[in-house]
Amino acid sequence: MIYYIARRLAVAVPTLLVLIIVSYVLMYTAPGGPFDTERTLPPEVMANLQRKYGLDEPLVVQIWRYVVSIVTEFDFGPSFQYTDQTVNDVIRQGFPVTLTYGAWAFVVAVLAGVSLGIAAAISHNSLLDYLCVGISIGAQVLPNFVLAPLLTLVFTLWLAWLPGGGWQGGHWSYVILPVIALSTSFMASIARMTRSSMLEALNADFIRTARAKGLPMRQIVVRHALKPTMLPVISYLGPTFVGMITGSVVIDVFFATGGIGQFFVNSALNRDYPVIMGITILAGALTIAFNLAVDLLYAWLDPRIRY
Amino acid sequence: MRASKLRAMFMAMAAVTLAGSFSPAWSADVHPVTGEALSDDQTFTYRLLDQFPTLDPQLNQDVSGFHVIRDLFEGLLSQDTEGNLVPGVATHFAASDNNTTYTFILRKDARWSNGDPVTAHDFVYAWRRAVDPVTASPYGWYLELTQIVNAADILAGDREPAELGVRAVDDHTLEVRLFAPLPYFPAMTTYATLFPTHRVTVETHGAKWTAPGNMVSNGAYVLTDLVLNEYHRRVKNPAYWDSDNVIIEEVTGLVINDDNQALTRYRAGELDHLQPLPAGQFPALREEMPDEATSVPRLCSYYYAINHSESGHPALKDVRVRRALSMAIDRDVIVERLLKGGQWPAYNFTHLKTAGFVMPEIAYATLSQAERDDEARGLMEASAIEDLTLRLIYNTSESHKQIATVISQMWKQKLGVTTELANFEWKTYLNIMDNQEFDLARSGWCGDYNEASTFLDLLTTTHGANRGKYSNLEVDELMSASKTVGDPGAIYAEVEQILAEDMAIIPIYHYANTFLLSSDMRGWPYDNVENNWYSKNLYRVAD
Repeated sequence: MIYYIARRLAVAVPTLLVLIIVSYVLMYTAPGGPFDTERTLPPEVMANLQRKYGLDEPLVVQIWRYVVSIVTEFDFGPSFQYTDQTVNDVIRQGFPVTLTYGAWAFVVAVLAGVSLGIAAAISHNSLLDYLCVGISIGAQVLPNFVLAPLLTLVFTLWLAWLPGGGWQGGHWSYVILPVIALSTSFMASIARMTRSSMLEALNADFIRTARAKGLPMRQIVVRHALKPTMLPVISYLGPTFVGMITGSVVIDVFFATGGIGQFFVNSALNRDYPVIMGITILAGALTIAFNLAVDLLYAWLDPRIRY
Repeated sequence: MRASKLRAMFMAMAAVTLAGSFSPAWSADVHPVTGEALSDDQTFTYRLLDQFPTLDPQLNQDVSGFHVIRDLFEGLLSQDTEGNLVPGVATHFAASDNNTTYTFILRKDARWSNGDPVTAHDFVYAWRRAVDPVTASPYGWYLELTQIVNAADILAGDREPAELGVRAVDDHTLEVRLFAPLPYFPAMTTYATLFPTHRVTVETHGAKWTAPGNMVSNGAYVLTDLVLNEYHRRVKNPAYWDSDNVIIEEVTGLVINDDNQALTRYRAGELDHLQPLPAGQFPALREEMPDEATSVPRLCSYYYAINHSESGHPALKDVRVRRALSMAIDRDVIVERLLKGGQWPAYNFTHLKTAGFVMPEIAYATLSQAERDDEARGLMEASAIEDLTLRLIYNTSESHKQIATVISQMWKQKLGVTTELANFEWKTYLNIMDNQEFDLARSGWCGDYNEASTFLDLLTTTHGANRGKYSNLEVDELMSASKTVGDPGAIYAEVEQILAEDMAIIPIYHYANTFLLSSDMRGWPYDNVENNWYSKNLYRVAD
């Protein structure tokens, strides 16, 4: 097991390196540069900017320098767009925001989704089943860019219960709406996945055996059916969790949270190379880490899996 | 009389603040000039569409950043609510040597927020910093534009920053030397690039000097909070020389990307000022909130650039085709049916509300649209060009798309010209424009200062934003001559006539800004066409 983890981590390093090189080259080849503006800058002004940020060097040298400064100093460079800030500043400020509402949304989505799915499966084809399926399909077809403005309309404008946006260091009143808006569609997916997976599990031979032995339904579900049910769900949850905590541009834009999702999109539009790279690497590293975590969870859930 | 009343008012306020609560005595207070009763609540919250990139005056190139910098720093001169020049750090100035030397006399009571006096040396330091290649300011060209001696050479690295043509004669006298006479130089000192910066602060903190807590500034407000893409806050600066006359205590800017979401939050009372408004909603909002919805002129022009370079469509080299295309556009439809925000149809380049600009009588502007259409058809026939297909590009935006679609329909119906529309996101779009890979390109230009040359210079051969590569020796010479004459008005009129005759660009409309402002806010500079608002001029009246 330890050997397995070590091997996976060793593979992660070249993976990240490839990610850095590919992203850097892609970004570099995108038309337009970070300092293009409405007015074409005089050549001397452009030259000074290129020199200041090392963009006058050949591409290979730029990438080498970039990697070296990350490895030796953990320095992801200055932001080209927000000239008073470094990439580390941007991530230090934006990541805790998305981590907070993303993690809460994840918890809500998993708890609500799994409960709905199980409830629907054990009362298959009953009114409760239809109700659960109805809720989850309703949540699915309401994308967050529709839900977010609706939530503000109701809770901010009509009821005046919650602020329509902002973060204020993560005060609870600012967290609620982003969490609802972000979790809903994930909750729906998890519910549908859990339901079909649970239905499959309940029809399996070992469950039939358990029933035949006269075990109560509750015990069958919790002790025997839940684990195999969760296997496909868990493999969905790993990347989903990373997606949620690295931010949603929709949530960041609608609720003005200052989260990292908006920086990601803006930096691409502004050709803010260091910020694009910084967030890409962050998301890449988290994806690798959580995929590993999911694989380890697998082994725990299914005794047949051994590493 | 007024001053003593004001002092009493602020002493009362200080006492109240010390006591930790507001007393009703404050609410009974009145504005020193107008006598209106002031509200207890002297805060102002406004919406920013995007996060400003920097608060460093020398690095700033952003409109929303400038709104903040104008509050935090004070330049030699400022603008009043109508856009006229008023004293800032300088109390007065004198021009000599045929407008090539300017001497500014600075007030002795100007202070930085840490108590240091603001001196001429602070301006010298800041201006040198703006052109220093090490600073690498994207707005370094602004100093080239001011014609300050040696600015261009220093930017190019050919001279030392110390050789810039600005000098502190003594602590309170600043002398500026220009290469060429520039009658509007004083107006240019109201822009951020020429604001002073506090040397010790910049040298101590490096790039972090603008962070709250580090920043030392000399304006009416100081920065207390800044969270990127969320909000920033500035509060009244007690060290400001005129702080006794500053009424708004606290200004908060909230970054809200989405127009509709911002409107909901305005309606919910979270904002006092909202701009821009969701597209096309101005008429309905004016109906609904007549006291709050306003449209004011804004010093920008919307036009289609024509590619005059080698890569442009050969048909566009024919002036008859250019004129036909321009005349076939029914600008009233665009302004009244699409934009609906008080914009003006444009038949020339310079915004009609530009200071000192007298609109010349442009021939095709005086015709009716039916007459223009007839003439357009005639010109197109005379050119004998058939099956013309042009590539019109615009940067991705709903409004640009609507306008382009409508215009391409007008051209199709009236002239039989086919238009291929292509949209690109901003940076790609700039790149395509820079490489002249278009026939026609959606363009806009906002004045850097309030004078017609800020527009007309753009169509001179060497200008950095002349992406259509229009080049007309006559225009170049006239614009060059305009810098040295006492009243360039006649020259501007002549240039506009040439541009219209030649149809160098296709003017479409002159901008207006539509916004919502809370009905208890006063002091908004409705008549300042550059929309430069200073929070120190605002106040909130009691209900």
